This record gives sequence, structure tokens and C-alpha cells, in this order.
Amino acid sequence: MHDAHVVGVGMTPFGVHDATLPDLFAEAALPALDDAGAAPDDVEALYFGNAMGGQIEGDSHLAPTVASHVGLAGVPCQRFEDACATSSNAFKNAVQAVEAGQHDVVLVGGVERCSPETGKGTGAMTRIFASAAHGAYERPTGLTFPGVFALLTKRHMHEHGTTPEQLAEVAVKNHYHGSLNDRAHFGKETTTEEVLDGPVVADPFRLHDCCPFSDGAAAVVVASEDAAADLSGDPVRVAGVGHATDVVPLADKAHPSTTQAARDAAREAYEAAGIAADDVDFAEVHDCFTGAEVLATEALGLVTDGEGGAAAAAGRTALGGEIPVNPSGGLKAKGHPIGATGAAQIVELTEQLRGEADERSVEGADVGLAHNLGGDAATTVVSVLEAADAGEVAR
Amino acid sequence: MSVDDYAEDDRLTTGGWRDALDDGLLLGQECRDCGHVTGAPKAACARCGSRALDTVRLPEEGTVYSVTRIEVAPEGFDAPYHVAMVALDDGRVTARLDGEADIGETVTFTGAASTPEGPAPRFG
Repeated sequence: MHDAHVVGVGMTPFGVHDATLPDLFAEAALPALDDAGAAPDDVEALYFGNAMGGQIEGDSHLAPTVASHVGLAGVPCQRFEDACATSSNAFKNAVQAVEAGQHDVVLVGGVERCSPETGKGTGAMTRIFASAAHGAYERPTGLTFPGVFALLTKRHMHEHGTTPEQLAEVAVKNHYHGSLNDRAHFGKETTTEEVLDGPVVADPFRLHDCCPFSDGAAAVVVASEDAAADLSGDPVRVAGVGHATDVVPLADKAHPSTTQAARDAAREAYEAAGIAADDVDFAEVHDCFTGAEVLATEALGLVTDGEGGAAAAAGRTALGGEIPVNPSGGLKAKGHPIGATGAAQIVELTEQLRGEADERSVEGADVGLAHNLGGDAATTVVSVLEAADAGEVAR
Repeated sequence: MSVDDYAEDDRLTTGGWRDALDDGLLLGQECRDCGHVTGAPKAACARCGSRALDTVRLPEEGTVYSVTRIEVAPEGFDAPYHVAMVALDDGRVTARLDGEADIGETVTFTGAASTPEGPAPRFG
């Protein structure tokens, strides 16, 4: 077994970009390679994420194109597509390749453009995102992605008494965190009143309960322990990765609001890392909608089932609270360029564990968790990273 | 037509399910091995993997399991409209909902909604 480490990270600001996908990817990939101290000859493979470039921009078979664009022509490349969990699945596969001894140094990352800069308006983009739902059965109902999470959240509200005000508190918290992150799409704070007064997108979600359509790229360099020792990048250890899926469509899941795939992926990641949920110091979770963060914090065991909304409202999941969630601002404020989102979570974990997160730092953090969800709560990847000098602290 | 007329080689495909819906029939599958009922036809049971699936008419009365009012719609759809998960005796269906209904309220199958993406079950 070859321990995998993240030795270099890079990401663009998330927001609106007019660059091509290869140009945008280079803005994350080259800084990641530089941060790792990796020369082109050091990199043995590219694990690349892009979810919807074919539909949004008419670009497909992008992996060798972007590899050539960043000086890696000729290495084995593969493109991953798992809806919003695209680049965390690329990360998982890169970690496994390194752990298996197949590759020593791998570039992992993703890129996507979803903003109106692509020429696609809200209706067109809503239709493209809905392509990740069940085609014959869910799409004809007019179900959108806000709608998918609205159905889960409304059920959670019914079962546990979660309120619109508690959901709004998730947005307020993540906007505050985003205001501390100069790469965030939304860099300004919001208020519960502003969230609750916004136009409805899919009841109970109003505009500020929803993440934005963002453009951006993120990349990380994964290396074996031996290879990491030969590179100049400050390493962070990959302690465990879990990956699970749940039944599609939504209606066929045993208990839709429990997001079982997240529970299964978390159990696998915790077992691999030799930790329990209590050992996690902070988490980046998939808060595409405020309700999604509530469900995720419960599924990951960070809060008791049913208390996700109350925990957010009480400040327990804010920076300075007992378990900070989405110190980067999350998808909600940092932004959500689909194929780059999972890699960006790994960037945030790495910067936090290196002590490079500036104002948004989680004090004394040794163990960070990333939770990335794709499709109608079907694919979930959970990754646990540990500070290189954490030793046996977490176990 | 009988339920079996919509199945091919004893298996309900998406095409048969859509044809039945257009004819005003809400079809699904029941697993002979584990009893799981689905409203979205599959080649094998999503719970146990069994291929022993009976094509069945689903109950036409159920209760709202969850519901949302969609106000930002995909291209080709006119908002606002309601989408619900409806709990039947066994299993659930995702459907368009005529008008409003809260979780727990009884709703009845009223036929197919015709949409740019194909027919969808409609309850009201």
C-alpha cells in the first residue's frame, strides 16, 4: 500500500469567466503543478473532470486536449462524469491508482462553465442540469435540480420540524464564510431577511437558498509518500475515500431524506481513515441548496439526525463553532462550476490543513472531510484528509 | 388492453410504460422475490437485483409524500407547477400535481401530463 498525499493545489476564482475550458483549466492546473514543485516529466497521468462541456459548450473528449494544453501531452488521461460529483470521483480514482502503485504522481482536476457568459440562459441551463435526473421518469414531470432537493428538504421539514428560517441561516453562514474567501463567487454577506424575501425557485428554496451558476477550475497533485518526499510541495495525507450510490430515481429510494449514499460513503471513508465522525475538525459539504447542507451534516454524523437545521441556526456549524461546515463559503457562496467543485473541496481541505486559509482558518484543524454529491442524491464521494504532522492525533 | 399488452417478453420497458400512461393507465413493476414496487420500469429489481418482475397497475389513490412548487422551470416548461412524490400502498411515484396539496393529503391519479420530455403521471 502506497500512501497517497496531496502535494499541490490550485484553483481559479469561481464566478464568471470568458476563457475557453482549456485556458480556464490551465489557470488551476499550472499553479497546482508549481505548488507541488512538479515538472511535466514527473506527472504520470491526468484524471480529469468535466460534467457538461458537451451540452453547454459543444466540447467533448477534453482530457487529452487539456493535458496537451498544460504540457502533459502523451500521459494517460481519463475524463470523469458523475454530475456534480465529477472531480471528486476523479480524485478517488487517482488516489486508488497511487495507493495501488500504478502511478507515483497524478494531476487531478476539473473545469466547467455554467454562467450566462456561456450564452446559455437560466431556462437552458436548468434543462441541462435536469439531464442528471432520470430521463424517462423524472424529467417529464418538470423536476429541476432545485426541485429534487426541495422534495428531500420538504420531507425533512415534515419529519423533523426544520424551518425556512433555519435553512436561511445556512445561507447566511456560508455567505459570511465566502466573504472571507477572495475566490468566492459571492463575496458579500447576506441576512435571513434577504434570504426569506427572495423569489421562490422551488419551494421551500428561494433564490438565496440556491448556489449560483459559476465558471471555474480546480486542480490538485496527488503523489505517493515516496514521490511526495522528492517534491517541494507541502504534503497533506489522504486518510480515506468512500464512494457510494443510491437508487435512481428519487421516489425509489428507501428513505429519500436520509441520503443513504452519503451515509455509506462516509462509513467507508471513516473506516479507511480509522476515525469516527467526532474526529472530524471541519467539513466542506455539498450545499448546492441550503437544505442539502442540512441533510449532509446529518448523514455524515457531524450532527444528530433531525438537528441539522437547528445546528446551523445555533452557530454550531459556523467558523468558531464546534464543527465548522463550509469554511470556504461552500457551493452556496464560493460557487459551483460542476466539474470543478469536488477538486475545489480538496483544495480547501489542503489549504486549511496546511494552515494557509488566512481569515477563514479553522483553528487547530488536523482532520478535514469533503462531501460531494452528484445527480438526484445518487452519487456521493466522501474524502478524509489529515495534516501531515497530525500523526496519531485523530486515531 | 390488458396490462400485459404493454410488456415486451413479459418485461415492462420505458416505451410500454409511456404508451400505457398515454392510454390513462399507471403501470409499475412488483418484484416477485422481495416485493419491491416501483413506478419507474427497470430491467431488474433496484432492491434485490431479481429479474422476476410482474407488470402491475399501481393504485390510483395515494398520499403526498413530499411536494414542491417549481417557479424556475427548464426550457419548454411553463412555471409555476407542482411536482410531488406520491406514496401508494407500496412504493412511490413522482408526478405532476394539479393544484396544491400538503404532505399527507390524499390525491388521485388523473391521467398523463403531456410535456416536451414525454408523458408524466398526473395526480390531483
